Amino acid sequence: MIQLIISLLVGLALAVSLYFFARRSKPSAEGSAQQLREARQTLDSLQFGLLPSDLVERIFAREDLEYVLSAARPDVQSLFLLDRKKIALAWVGRVRSAVFELMRFHRGHARLHARLNFSTEIRLALNFAGLLTACRLLQITFYLRGPYAAPGMVRSAAAAAGRVCSISENSLAFLNVKRVDQLQSREARHGI
Amino acid sequence: MRSTINRSDVELASDDLRRRTLSHMPSPLERMIYLGSTRDYNTGLYYHDGLASRFSEEVACEALANCHREAYRQLLGSSVEDLVRQMDAYILSTHTAPRDFIAAWTSLQPYRVAVPAGTDPLAVEFLCANVRIALAIWEAHQDGRSRQRLDASPQLSPVQ
Repeated sequence: MIQLIISLLVGLALAVSLYFFARRSKPSAEGSAQQLREARQTLDSLQFGLLPSDLVERIFAREDLEYVLSAARPDVQSLFLLDRKKIALAWVGRVRSAVFELMRFHRGHARLHARLNFSTEIRLALNFAGLLTACRLLQITFYLRGPYAAPGMVRSAAAAAGRVCSISENSLAFLNVKRVDQLQSREARHGI
Repeated sequence: MRSTINRSDVELASDDLRRRTLSHMPSPLERMIYLGSTRDYNTGLYYHDGLASRFSEEVACEALANCHREAYRQLLGSSVEDLVRQMDAYILSTHTAPRDFIAAWTSLQPYRVAVPAGTDPLAVEFLCANVRIALAIWEAHQDGRSRQRLDASPQLSPVQ
């Protein structure tokens, strides 16, 4: 009896996964220039907007906190802490959503274009998963304990995001703007 | 039109601008405010007569934009303490009454429109928050200085 129930459950799980697998929309073979462009923008925004080490170090710099605590009135101190908390939360939120966007893009389209080998794909998947988890943990930490609570984790998350960017950049050579523009003009010519 | 601009001309114009004009502005805050003011609000293009006459309008525009981005990056990398110092020097250089300056910067927040175009919104928000805090600290220091002057004045009177 127990064996029957287990077999039924396994069968049901397989049927459900097959259903979802069948429902997944197939990316068009041509790829969409718009999606390539968006992926490029996400990568640029991560690399040049959110991850430059000088910006990350500045946002989470303890010397600012120490200076403000020693030189400012209590109301200014509170304002500073509130501002930094908002910025830290916005930073980690944007890194997380950019990483999520890149991951979605990879899952949906990279297979058709990229020169990814199996080990790179595994490495990328692990980096994506680790990074998304780290970002979520950072969000919780910032929310509960403020922006200066986990400096080591901030550094690790920024470094991991940098690695994801490098892997994406190296393996997705088609993501350069020149190629995207060519693709877009080709699509325009063909009226896609 | 932009593709016809010679990169080396832009570099030369940028160096010229740094040497002749920006060298008189020691702090990135001052340079960013100044360079922001050379930009037309309606077109987003930068104008500088002297530079345009030595090079061309397009090259001058590009050079001003380069230097503007450079000043912004330097300001973004400044600590709050350094920002308070820069603000002190900048207010002195404008010869504005501290009270008027604080009132204008608190209500109008001119530094918001002085950032270069195409900068990341989070970085802009971070910079503006830092300027706001630096302004509040500078104001408190200013009040402290005023009080010190008031306290010191009765002691000076017998000498006078």
